[in-house]
Amino acid sequence: MIATLRQIGLLAGKDLRIEARSRQTLGLVIILGVLIVIVLGLGLGPQQAAGFGAPAVLWVAYLFAGVLCFEKTMAIERHDGAMAGLLLAPVDRGVIYAGKLLSNLALMLAVALVITPAGILFFGFDLSAAPWTFACVIGLSMIGFAAVGTLFSAVVSSTRLQGGLLAMMVFPIALPLVISSTQLLLRVFRDGKAVDGEALAILIAFDAIFLVVSWLVFEWVLEP
Amino acid sequence: MTLISSNPPAPLDSADSGALARAMAVLYWPLAAVLTTVGVFVVCHVPGPNEDQVSLVQRIYYVHLPVAINTFAACLTVFIASIGFLSHRRMWWDDLAEAAARVAVLLGAIVLLTGMIWGRAAWNTWWTWSPRLTFSLILWLLYVVQLMVRASIESRERRAVISAVYGIIAFLDVPLVYLSAKLIEEMHPASYTMEPVQKWTLALWFVPVTMIAGGLISMRYQLARRISAKLAGGTR
Repeated sequence: MIATLRQIGLLAGKDLRIEARSRQTLGLVIILGVLIVIVLGLGLGPQQAAGFGAPAVLWVAYLFAGVLCFEKTMAIERHDGAMAGLLLAPVDRGVIYAGKLLSNLALMLAVALVITPAGILFFGFDLSAAPWTFACVIGLSMIGFAAVGTLFSAVVSSTRLQGGLLAMMVFPIALPLVISSTQLLLRVFRDGKAVDGEALAILIAFDAIFLVVSWLVFEWVLEP
Repeated sequence: MTLISSNPPAPLDSADSGALARAMAVLYWPLAAVLTTVGVFVVCHVPGPNEDQVSLVQRIYYVHLPVAINTFAACLTVFIASIGFLSHRRMWWDDLAEAAARVAVLLGAIVLLTGMIWGRAAWNTWWTWSPRLTFSLILWLLYVVQLMVRASIESRERRAVISAVYGIIAFLDVPLVYLSAKLIEEMHPASYTMEPVQKWTLALWFVPVTMIAGGLISMRYQLARRISAKLAGGTR
């Protein structure tokens, strides 16, 4: 167990070290996310943008930013036969999945830390009622989104397909996350109701199902 | 992945396939056509609650519900075939999954269109984000994406593996989509009390619709098997 966790840490550390030294992904993705928030704010106009559009706008930014992150973390294995090396390493394929998932989550967290305040600020979303609920809901959604995104980024990467395909595969699958988290946040912040247990259960079920299934099927989609 | 045997023993060989196709052309499809015609006739004569426009359009329900349930059956077939492929690595499972995915997209489109026509008459709008409309739309999208993904992968083995993985994930997503869509405010008629004659009409419509759905899956499947046989150079 400890050995597995160490392996996962090593794999995720390797990806994050590469990112820290090359700084190829984060800057690009953060700017893209902020741009999406700004474009939607301008498109909706001052009348529409004020109020409770923030969760939806943030989701659009998270979805596109996430897909870029997932693509980049898998793409670094494409150079110099790194994927073959990774596959030859004496670790379970599920461990490779967990490592990639962890590095994706770290990147998403960094991106969300910039995009979320931008969205909240531009759209005048008042977090003071339940800031921790907001953080938990977004956190749970991110885990589920990254679970599916990591699996399909390996699929797309191994077939050398063009970029749009990953978004096409992940967006429809991630829609339950979008619906339940936005509905939950609207109920808490707009209607002033308590946290909807059913919506929270859907988020947790999504995370649990797709973490387990992705771990199980990951070995089939990897290919040098 | 070299685990896939290139010449799998197919459950259907060429002679069988030809005989089955002929039997379907002579018996199965004419029967489905006759039953559909009977269904249309009955729908035209079954009494509605009252003869306003909504009640007339209400009759689309006899097609809508059986098609919706068959869509779900086709999605279930994709799921079972995907699991079958990943555990047995036989290409005919993949052919079955593809055939069922295509039919699921076709039936899903019919569900959406009939639902929209009914919604236009009942709610005076083509589209609203009610839970069931949202659910049908996302379900349809999931399987459209599966066909798109299949079309963009050249290697037959990779395509089979990836579409099987996607088929499993998509089907597991369906209950989650359904539950999350239910969080949206409801305006779809949840239950509709029916007279016995309306129930029988609905039951009657299940037969041809299920026959057409099953027949289409079977035809696509046989076609895919024949293409596989050709690609394998006439040997199986």
